[in-house]
Amino acid sequence: MIQTEGLTKKYGDFTAVDNVDLSIPAGEIYGFLGPNGAGKTSTIMMLLGITSPTAGRIELFGEEYTSGRLDLRRRIGVVPEKHPVGMWSWMTAGEYLSFFADIFGLKNPGKRIEDLLTQVKLIGVANKRISEFSRGMLQKLSIVRALLHDPDILFLDEPISGLDPIGIKQVRDLIIAENREGRTIFISSHLLSEMEKICHRVAIIFNGKLLAEDSMDVLLLKLARDREIDIDLEEVPDGLAEEIEKLDFVNSVSVTETTIAVKVPKEGDYRKDISRFLIKKELIPLQFKEKSISLEEAFVTITQDNVKLLAGVGGKA
Amino acid sequence: MNYRLNAVKAISRRKIFETFITPGFYIALSVSLLLGYFLINGFINSIDSSGLNYGLNPVYELIAKSLSGAFGDTFVIKLFSEGPFLFALYIAYIPFLLYLTISSVFKFGFEKKVGAIELLVYGPSDGTSYFLASLVKDIVFTFVFLGAVLVFFWITAIVNNMVLGPEFFYSCIVILFLSLAFFSYGIISSVVTDSAVSGIALFLGISIFFIILQMGSFAIISGYVTNLSNVLAWIVKWVSPLFYWHLALSSIGYGNGGVFVVNLFLLLLLSIVILVISHLVLKARGVRV
Repeated sequence: MIQTEGLTKKYGDFTAVDNVDLSIPAGEIYGFLGPNGAGKTSTIMMLLGITSPTAGRIELFGEEYTSGRLDLRRRIGVVPEKHPVGMWSWMTAGEYLSFFADIFGLKNPGKRIEDLLTQVKLIGVANKRISEFSRGMLQKLSIVRALLHDPDILFLDEPISGLDPIGIKQVRDLIIAENREGRTIFISSHLLSEMEKICHRVAIIFNGKLLAEDSMDVLLLKLARDREIDIDLEEVPDGLAEEIEKLDFVNSVSVTETTIAVKVPKEGDYRKDISRFLIKKELIPLQFKEKSISLEEAFVTITQDNVKLLAGVGGKA
Repeated sequence: MNYRLNAVKAISRRKIFETFITPGFYIALSVSLLLGYFLINGFINSIDSSGLNYGLNPVYELIAKSLSGAFGDTFVIKLFSEGPFLFALYIAYIPFLLYLTISSVFKFGFEKKVGAIELLVYGPSDGTSYFLASLVKDIVFTFVFLGAVLVFFWITAIVNNMVLGPEFFYSCIVILFLSLAFFSYGIISSVVTDSAVSGIALFLGISIFFIILQMGSFAIISGYVTNLSNVLAWIVKWVSPLFYWHLALSSIGYGNGGVFVVNLFLLLLLSIVILVISHLVLKARGVRV
């Protein structure tokens, strides 16, 4: 659906985006992650046709995309991070949506507006002025605006930034619901824990360079240095940790009350070996839990130590 | 579907509605009409048995002397040859033109800063659609202004037993084209600057420069200004709307319809050139601050 090759954006001597190749297939929730100033916004602005790339090319829906392609731009819905301050505040939600429907040339948009407002539970405030809306309501209204023309792809820039927990859940559910209907979702965010919950694939950008692009599971697996197995016991006898640590496949051991955390190499399943060892010691494991690396941990790993790690994971360094 | 045309229609409709519901428009129109009224009233009070006598009204005396100094006696005689309406029309036009242009430049800068233009161009529109919509709105309100002035002056003329002469109507047409050129300068001022304040400052700077240049061209003839380069003035006058305005006005006085039409066309051409440059600059700079 979206493909970029060698996408580069320079502002004078500063390179904001450096030779980025993206590939976003249809029907995915694609997370575009990076800290502030990593080059996320510069990349998105080029994808949206707001700015032109210094070098490289963008393909959208299988066609070469330039800023003049208004026909392609019509197939995109965009939810910016914030509603422009002080704009259209005198309008009601309904008037605001009608205005944007007008720009998109939608005929009789009343029914569509009503349906979408119902879907996001804003139908009751359709005649309320935007100036009276909370941050969460504005964000939902913004999503409705972006969906008015039934776009093929929805871009969301920091969609949950500044929202309360209820707002976050509502927006998250809405994103997932839209994706289930077949819409491709592109989310840019620095809130990694939230992205982990909804994204199918992620790309990590840092200092303008694309460090990784893969499906969430594969990326996390590849980036994990060790696998951590947490074993619950009735009690942890003295010296057990030291004895486990001597096993040749164990990298490290730590103990917290009745739980032993054993770090083993990520290749291979060592649960059977650990069980056998514990039973020999007349200890019965109550529970085995395999702790996977979080996206946040992966992100720290990838940005701090990316070159060596990514040599074989399909990302670009 | 022509996406840009559709966006221009949608955005201009909204802008026209917004302008109608804001007090600024009514204040500017009231100020314009009041100025017109006072000037017409002053003219009537300056008439004695021998005809127009500027000395009877101190304000008129000051205006006539100032205009004679800047543009020459012939200009003043021509200006008042049909009565006060032509002069009142131009004076009433200035605050309204300033209101329309400055408010548009301000909005452009403000909406660019808060990301509203960016939001508009996420859809099937672009920065050019936005400024064309702004231009359409300004042109519509110039028509509204001319309509209001025509009705007001026509009633005033009837009440005071006067008539609106043909030069007045020709001037209304010139004002339309002159406004288009000034609106275009307002747009380019917005496009090349990053804030509302710098946009307004640039527009006012350009306008004042053109006024000085126009007045300077008379001053040179009169020998008042010696340090203003004739060559520079000759070059710059081609991009000054006031140059074509003055030629169009003069052609009405001489009864030369051809020159009148040519100068209207040149005003239109000047506006188009400025708008094309604005389009190219906006394309290169984008709508993000």
